[in-house]
Amino acid sequence: MISLQDVSKVYRTDRIETTALDGISVTIEPGAFVSIMGPSGCGKSTLLNVMGLLDAPSGGTVSLDGAPIRGYRDRDVAALRNAKVGFVFQSFHLIADLTVSDNVEIPLLYRTMAGAERRKRVAAALDRVGLTSRRYHFPTQLSGGQQQRVAIARAIVGEPKLLLADEPTGNLDSQMGDEIMAVLHELNRGGTTVVMVTHDPRLAESTHRTIRLFDGRQVQ
Amino acid sequence: MLSTLKLAVKVLLRRKFFTFVSLFAVTFTLLVLLVSAAMLDGIFGPNGPEDRPDRTLVVLKAESAGKESRRNGWAGYGLLARTFPDMPGVERSTIFAEPRKLTTYHEGRKITVMTRRTDGEFWKVFRFDFVEGGPYDTDAEAQALPVVVLNESTRDRFFGARRAVGKTLELDGRRLRVVGVVRDVPSLRFLTTADMWFPTSLSRSDAYKKELVGDFAGVMILAPGAEASDVSAEFRRRVATVPMDDPRFDTLTASAVPLLGAVASFFFFEQLDSAGPTVMFGVLWLMALAFMALPALNLVNLNLSRILERAGEIGVRKSFGATSWTLVRQFLMENIVLVAIGGLHAALATMIVLAILNRSGLIPYATLSLNYRVLGWGMLLTLVFGIVSGVLPAWRMSRLHPVGALQGRFE
Repeated sequence: MISLQDVSKVYRTDRIETTALDGISVTIEPGAFVSIMGPSGCGKSTLLNVMGLLDAPSGGTVSLDGAPIRGYRDRDVAALRNAKVGFVFQSFHLIADLTVSDNVEIPLLYRTMAGAERRKRVAAALDRVGLTSRRYHFPTQLSGGQQQRVAIARAIVGEPKLLLADEPTGNLDSQMGDEIMAVLHELNRGGTTVVMVTHDPRLAESTHRTIRLFDGRQVQ
Repeated sequence: MLSTLKLAVKVLLRRKFFTFVSLFAVTFTLLVLLVSAAMLDGIFGPNGPEDRPDRTLVVLKAESAGKESRRNGWAGYGLLARTFPDMPGVERSTIFAEPRKLTTYHEGRKITVMTRRTDGEFWKVFRFDFVEGGPYDTDAEAQALPVVVLNESTRDRFFGARRAVGKTLELDGRRLRVVGVVRDVPSLRFLTTADMWFPTSLSRSDAYKKELVGDFAGVMILAPGAEASDVSAEFRRRVATVPMDDPRFDTLTASAVPLLGAVASFFFFEQLDSAGPTVMFGVLWLMALAFMALPALNLVNLNLSRILERAGEIGVRKSFGATSWTLVRQFLMENIVLVAIGGLHAALATMIVLAILNRSGLIPYATLSLNYRVLGWGMLLTLVFGIVSGVLPAWRMSRLHPVGALQGRFE
């Protein structure tokens, strides 16, 4: 599904150079459920961003579906993200101005797709996360768990092969966290590859495999 | 496109305070510009008696100059009468005086009117809308027949709203017979407007016939296919041959300029008649842009400050496949929708303001309106306003790095 070869990421300012990732080589097979763990600041989120083509690596190669990503032109990576990757963020990042349906529809707006087809897919995605009855609500009218389920619906509405979740349960209590994990596992059973950043060893144990990072290096 | 439009409307509806503040600034700015555009249309639009602006040449000013003195003003009748006859490339021409205020008494009432002396051709060069009777012709002028044409309002002041043709009135010590009544001509049409028109030959003395600089203007209607520049050149050549009437002066200058240039020089800048309408419209556009600059900058500032507020949205959209260009389009569309709504409000407010202006009598006989030309200019100004105030914020927003935007960082 996705592989990283000797990937590094260095942030430079006028005075300081910070190495966020150093020589990471990882291959994630289709259908896998992989967790990324490590202490704060070790580069977990940076790794996820590089995998999701939100950030270009400073060195090394990222390949998606066997094709190496080169150049990182805005138009090219945007199209790849839209077609193949879905994101779930710790703080949900729903757009407060838009209803649940409109939020979920976002990835489809950047595809050539008729309105009727978009609405059908949005309804199906909301049905999968059990929020059909809330489709005309605004995010602020929902609980944290519901908001994260909306975020998951948004991430899967375009049927991406790869779902990247950055601490998806980090802002939720344990019960809601378990609900979200159940949804992610169900998606994975349906064939979606899931990569999840987490601090919680219990959640990491429930995945197929765990990548551990320390100071930007892979330690396991 | 449709979803971008829908989204723009949703965003505006949800951010009511921002929308209100922005709309107020946009509406007020466009209102002022639309009212100005309506005034300019009242002055320049081809909707008055001067209905063939592209074929019209005007001689408005003349100047006699010598070593120690100089005299300038409107052209003199003598100058025009010597240079206009049999001008090649000219279909018709007319010589007429600048308006003059006269006071008269009618049935014990004191009435002040704006009068204009004209020749018979005046009525063929300009197209007036007669509601009663008709114009006087060249023969009437040659014979100095005591006839007069009134506008509707003046007829009403003298005779009530009853038929006036055939009736008489006293003006400047003469009794004149009304031969026609025309619809009011707005005072912005400075070449033709008046309350009443009568033959030049009714003047109290013949002194005007010799004047090279005086209180007359001349208008030539070009024959189809004739070049304005050729006619202007021939006119200058003829002016150079006119013998001077005063030993203090040795040069005489006057030029025949297109209608728009003449109008521009009358209302705006003295020098514009030679530079032509291009310069004038350039200056007017610059003034409009300068006037729009302040609210546009304000809107730019408001939009830029909203980047902070919308960073998360930008990060999300980029994460899910929006390119920078897509986001530029979205934010620009939001701004254009906002400005377009402001434009609609401004159009409604303009209609109200113009109706008040027309009724107030501030501009005599004003018939200012939001016609298709003014609306066209208004739409163009609205679009320019929307794009100018939206491009920079849209570009800045679209350039945010998705990861930074999601984390609320702006570098």
